[in-house]
Amino acid sequence: MTQPDDLLPVGLEDALPVRAAAITRAMRQVLSAMDANGYDRVRPPLVEFERSLAGRMEGVATRRMVRFTDPDSLRTLALRSDMTVQVGRIAATSLRDAPRPLRLCYAGEVATLKADQLDPARQRLQLGAELVGSDSVAAASEAVGVALDALEAAGVTGLSVDFTLPDIVDTLAEEALPIPVDRREAVRRELDMKDAGGLKAAGGEAYLPLLYATGPFDEAIGKLAALDAGGVLASRIAGLREIAASLGTRVRLTLDPSERHGFEYQSWFGFTLHAEGARGALGRGGTYAIKGSDEPATGFSLYMEPILEALGSADAAPREALFLPLGHDRDAAARLRTEGWRTVAALAEDEDPAALGCTHVLEGAEAKPL
Amino acid sequence: MSAPLTFAVPKGRILDEALPVMARAGVVPEQAFHDKANRSLTFACESEDMRLIRVRAFDVATFVAHGAAQLGIVGSDVIEEFDYPDLYAPVDLDIGHCHLAVAEPKDSAGAPGGASHLRVATKYPNLTRRHFERMGIQAECVKLNGAMEIAPSLDLASRIVDLVSSGATLRENGLVETSRILDISARLIVNRAALKTDSRVAELVEAFRTEAQAREAA
Repeated sequence: MTQPDDLLPVGLEDALPVRAAAITRAMRQVLSAMDANGYDRVRPPLVEFERSLAGRMEGVATRRMVRFTDPDSLRTLALRSDMTVQVGRIAATSLRDAPRPLRLCYAGEVATLKADQLDPARQRLQLGAELVGSDSVAAASEAVGVALDALEAAGVTGLSVDFTLPDIVDTLAEEALPIPVDRREAVRRELDMKDAGGLKAAGGEAYLPLLYATGPFDEAIGKLAALDAGGVLASRIAGLREIAASLGTRVRLTLDPSERHGFEYQSWFGFTLHAEGARGALGRGGTYAIKGSDEPATGFSLYMEPILEALGSADAAPREALFLPLGHDRDAAARLRTEGWRTVAALAEDEDPAALGCTHVLEGAEAKPL
Repeated sequence: MSAPLTFAVPKGRILDEALPVMARAGVVPEQAFHDKANRSLTFACESEDMRLIRVRAFDVATFVAHGAAQLGIVGSDVIEEFDYPDLYAPVDLDIGHCHLAVAEPKDSAGAPGGASHLRVATKYPNLTRRHFERMGIQAECVKLNGAMEIAPSLDLASRIVDLVSSGATLRENGLVETSRILDISARLIVNRAALKTDSRVAELVEAFRTEAQAREAA
């Protein structure tokens, strides 16, 4: 019986062999797809000073981070909850003088003290790539393309990409559709919730058409262009069209210009990745600025949990394994391992190969099916 | 995708007003749905790719936010209370109007303020806490699931935060409304991922929006 002390806290879990294998496989495939696109992997530490995690990007809240005092420096440390900021720090410090554009990728565990209401996980595996030094249309097209490469390499199918313009309210609120600064947050919030009633109540009635300029990309971008008051969005709309053109018919494209969920630090462009079979988003990305060095950057992050959900159990074919009886030919076993065999050696006389998950047994120098 | 859509509707107050609206938008439940004696929770619809579930108002938001149901109808009080990031409320259905208010016993109402800490009985702890935080008061919420009106007279809490439509229940229990927190109407809610990945959801949103606009114009 499991003792209460052996229970894991809410939101934390062991990945047992089948799942661990699926995670490892997907992580390798995603990392090698990013590597193939010229992104170098970096491995920042698990723990940093709270200030450095919070200071690199707009809108990063440390409230939910696991924090504690460093007995050495007496400063507050925090467990990373998003690796993007760490890559930003690396680009702004150690790799300050590296040639731009700088292409970096990463994969690692991140943690939060308190989970989302909807997703109880407090630890997750984040994978991503950042292109530092540019937030141009070309950079944005590359980020979306590499994200799709990575997910396709992992075997995810039925992908769709949702574009957004994270700073659209700020852009429009200046002149085209003015709202006082103190009301902007409320308007943004209601747009976020797509709450038509709330939006009117918050004084953002002029923004209602934005709620309706959503859906399949070609239609929605037309609607957005039609309501572009004074042409302030013209360059953004042209940019979106160019990114969409670069993707062709590779995936289903949608547009939701006022989406801000999870785009706290993005600037003009953001995108969310969805796939059939996964309830939540597989990842998101966009353009942003690294604070401190004020350098533009573009990138994306993926999360393992929804990737596995999208993959389903299709990948879980049983593997072959070779049983090595007591006193077997060690040289033959070594040779078979180099040929790709997975071997399981007997430790005692009466072991049952099948119970140990073996499909073959070594007889002499040959692998024989059980 | 051929899996049927699930549409969540709340038991009680809003439902009677919502059914005609749903019918005009093309969501018509089977006859069994109207049978008061029927205890089942899932009902078929006239269109085959949809089913209806009837749950408590608070649960409508939870089902939709988790993607267990793709659409639903619920009061904006519930949406605000949960503040789920994966919930959209794209159509104000302009039905089920009422408001959320603070009420306190008639005798003590209007007593000079200055308290930094209050005990409040409510079904809406998050909205209540946020409301009092804005006034610089730390509210300790006692979560009740109904009949908050008797809490002040039994000294469970000095105030209550609850829905008010006519105000009759407050009066009968010797309470007066002292401040209005939120005006409420019923909204069509949809799951974010479902809206982005399933075109049937977008079509239904459009149907409800057209219906609401037609009523507004009339």
